[in-house]
Amino acid sequence: MSETIKYTDEEIVEKVRSNDRDIYAVIIERYKNALLRYTTSLVHDEDMASHIVQDSLIKAYTNLNGFNTKKKFSSWIYRIAHNEAMNMLKKYQREVSIPDDIDFESDEDITKDFEKKETSLHVTECLRSIPVIYSAPLSLYYLEAMSYEEISDILRIPMGTVATRMSRAKKLMKHICQKN
Amino acid sequence: MSKELKNITDNIMDQIHEEKIKIRPKIYFITGSILTFIGLVSSVVISVFLVGLIRFSLRTHGPMGSYRLDQIFSSFPWWTPVLATVGLVVGIWLLRKYDFSFKVNFKVIIIGFILAVIVGGWIIDSVGLNDVLTRQGPMQGMMREYMHDNYIQSNGQGWGRNRGD
Repeated sequence: MSETIKYTDEEIVEKVRSNDRDIYAVIIERYKNALLRYTTSLVHDEDMASHIVQDSLIKAYTNLNGFNTKKKFSSWIYRIAHNEAMNMLKKYQREVSIPDDIDFESDEDITKDFEKKETSLHVTECLRSIPVIYSAPLSLYYLEAMSYEEISDILRIPMGTVATRMSRAKKLMKHICQKN
Repeated sequence: MSKELKNITDNIMDQIHEEKIKIRPKIYFITGSILTFIGLVSSVVISVFLVGLIRFSLRTHGPMGSYRLDQIFSSFPWWTPVLATVGLVVGIWLLRKYDFSFKVNFKVIIIGFILAVIVGGWIIDSVGLNDVLTRQGPMQGMMREYMHDNYIQSNGQGWGRNRGD
C-alpha cells in the first residue's frame, strides 16, 4: 500500500480499470474525510453526509470507465458528491432564505478583514446559516483549498459566477456571523 | 467523525470483492456517447427542416393570416416537433448521465440550440435548399407528401401553389 502513495489519482484510476480493484481503497482513504467535510457543510448533518460520501464513492467506482483521466479526478469526485448532496437537500429542503437587508452592491472592502478574523471552525459554523449556492463555493475555496477553476468544474458554473458568488457569500457571512 | 465513515473503506471494498458493485463496461459509455450524438444531431436536422417548412408554408398559403394558420395546423407534420423535443430532452438527459465532469450550462445549450435551429431553418429556406430536399435526401418523401396534400408544386425556380387551386 505504501508504494501507492507516489501514484496520482488518475494513475490509480487507470490501475483500477486494469483490474487492480484493491487499489481503489487508496482513493477512498484520500477523499473520504475531505468529502465528508464538504458534504457536511452542505447538508449540516454528519450521518447524512457519511451516507452521501459512501454513495458517491460507490457511484464513482461503478462509473470509473466514464471518467476522462486527462481531467482532474478530484473535481470529478467532488462533482459527484455535490450532486448527491443536492439530491439529498431537495428531499429535505433545509435551505434558509437570504435576509432582505443585505446590500450586495456595497464597495466596502471586507475581504481582508474577514479573512484575518475568522477561523476555520467559525467559518464552518457560519456556513450553516447561508444558502447552499453561496456556501458551496466558499467551502470549496476556504475549507478544501480549491481554485476558482476547480470550483467552476465542480459546480458547473462559469468562473465569473464563482467570483460573484464568492463575493456575495463573504458579505453574507460577515452580515450573519457578526450577529452571532 | 461518525462510525460509518470509519468503516466506509471496508464497506465499499467488501462490496467490490463480493462483486455487489461492478465497474460498468466501456461499451456502456461509448453507446451513451453515440446515442447522445445521434439524438442531438437528429434533433437539430429535424428542427432546422421544420423551421424551413414553417417559412415555406407561410409563404405559399396566401395573404390571409388565419387561413395560413389553419393550413399549418391542419397539414402540419406534428410528429416532427414531438420527435425533436424528445430528441433534445433525451440528449440532455444522456449528457448528464454519461459525463459527470462535463462542464456545461444547459440554459446556454437550449438557447443556443433554438437560435441555431431558427437561423438554420431561415438560411435553408432563403437559399432554396428546400427545393433540393424535395428531390433528394431523407426528407424527400415527407416533403412530397406535404406538397401533394397541399396541392403545391415545384417549378424548378422555387415552390408555388397550383394555379388551379
